[in-house]
Amino acid sequence: MTLEVLKPGPQTTIQSAPRTGQRHLGVPCSGPADPLSMALANRLVGNELLAPALEITLGGMSLRFRSNTAVALAGAHARATLAGELLPLHCTKQAKVGDELLVGRSELGARTYAAFAGGLLADEILGSSSTYLPAALGGHHGRALAKGDRLMLDRCERTVEMLATPDEFQPPMTASWALRACDSAETGLLRDRRQLFDTNFTVAGRCDRMGIMLEGAQLAVESDGRMASAPVFPGTVQCPEDGRVFMLSVDAQTTGGYARVAQIARADRHLLGQLRPGDHVRLLPRDRESAVADLRAKLDYWRDWLDDVEHVI
Amino acid sequence: MSLANKIHALGDDLVSIDVSGPAEAQVLAARLRASGDWIEVVGGIDAVVLQFDAALHDLDFVVGKVHESTSQDEPVVAMSPDVVEIPVCYGGEYGPDFDAVCAMLKLSAEELIALHAGHDYTVDMLGFTPGFAYIGGLDERLSVPRLREPRVRVAAGSVGIADGRTGLYALPGPGGWVLIGRTSYPLFDATSDRPFALKAGMRIRFVAVPEP
Repeated sequence: MTLEVLKPGPQTTIQSAPRTGQRHLGVPCSGPADPLSMALANRLVGNELLAPALEITLGGMSLRFRSNTAVALAGAHARATLAGELLPLHCTKQAKVGDELLVGRSELGARTYAAFAGGLLADEILGSSSTYLPAALGGHHGRALAKGDRLMLDRCERTVEMLATPDEFQPPMTASWALRACDSAETGLLRDRRQLFDTNFTVAGRCDRMGIMLEGAQLAVESDGRMASAPVFPGTVQCPEDGRVFMLSVDAQTTGGYARVAQIARADRHLLGQLRPGDHVRLLPRDRESAVADLRAKLDYWRDWLDDVEHVI
Repeated sequence: MSLANKIHALGDDLVSIDVSGPAEAQVLAARLRASGDWIEVVGGIDAVVLQFDAALHDLDFVVGKVHESTSQDEPVVAMSPDVVEIPVCYGGEYGPDFDAVCAMLKLSAEELIALHAGHDYTVDMLGFTPGFAYIGGLDERLSVPRLREPRVRVAAGSVGIADGRTGLYALPGPGGWVLIGRTSYPLFDATSDRPFALKAGMRIRFVAVPEP
């Protein structure tokens, strides 16, 4: 036994590499909503970039170490302490038996990732140990953590180098996001495409691992509401007949019957995991070629710190 | 129609291929999946969408590969002719919209059940959430739209109809289909060797039973 959950916070789950290749069976990919931040935390404790770690939504979590373990945090900004001492994001710290890790409410961004040397032991279901809450798959018994849960490390007692993420690889957190997006299958159904890209959207209260609702404009869609169910993916921007805008995230359903009016570019999809209610969002139009160029440039940049970043972003 | 008109890029790493219907979608999807080149291959009702690694492959490569798959003329392996029977308890607390459907379509309870149960269907696709089955071939007389206000929670095993199809809810969750009954047939069990009871192309029949 290695970690004991004292306070789980609003939603803390174990996430790992996504559950890919099964959308045709209705199985969403899951995995970290912000995989880049999770990779940064894992990197600091010597793990594989997507080794099982904690995704702490909106903070408010605490746990006690029952063994000596190196720990690192990345992602949403939150005041965190280890054994009462301030624990900044983006550095490795050695926790001792009995130490308490406290991650306060997140101040910017939605999800803080806590990685532990050796990675967490998690239930592997359908090829992944990521938690998918709607079907209770993977993670810790398929559910969010609860007070009293005891988590094990996959491998323990390793010697870990104490590291800090270089400044240029600490992603900025903000409450105003710009997401690059391409046209999708039913963009042509929008009466005014510019509205999608000219609106300052606000993230609505409905914002979770499945999707993020945006407020700020009612888009007019030419649709009789009887579209054939079509495949959708994380990053698909849907627009039901009522004109609301819904961006799908990592736990998104695999098919949907609403107009697909845009697709967030792969380069920026990891940002969806940091949006929280009240944040501002602008969609930036990109043609396909520039979206691919953006992706390659981003991967090239990050490769200097994260070797396998192409498996992360 | 030439292939070029049937392939559309949806964003930087998705490609949609138009097909004539769910049967063609599943055949093409299975072929594409067998190549191992793609991250996801999902057959829909009138298209197949594949997700590829845009950092690794450019669009020309993808289109070329899709062309190879669509021009294969090897015979399609037929699904087993066996018909899987799905027991359904219609109406009452298990089919909360059953009476409203009867009233809307001016059918008696017996007529509605007779129109839905007792003949064979094909599973068009699995999708939405793990194991949710879209089943085509609904009798035209059972044409109803989706609920205007989706339910926040639909029980696992719920049997819904909408837009010419039957939908089987493998898991509890939100849902907008018009619910006429419920089945106890285990549609999804993550711990089983065969987690998904149904698959696309399978033949099924609904059998009316007094209790789910």
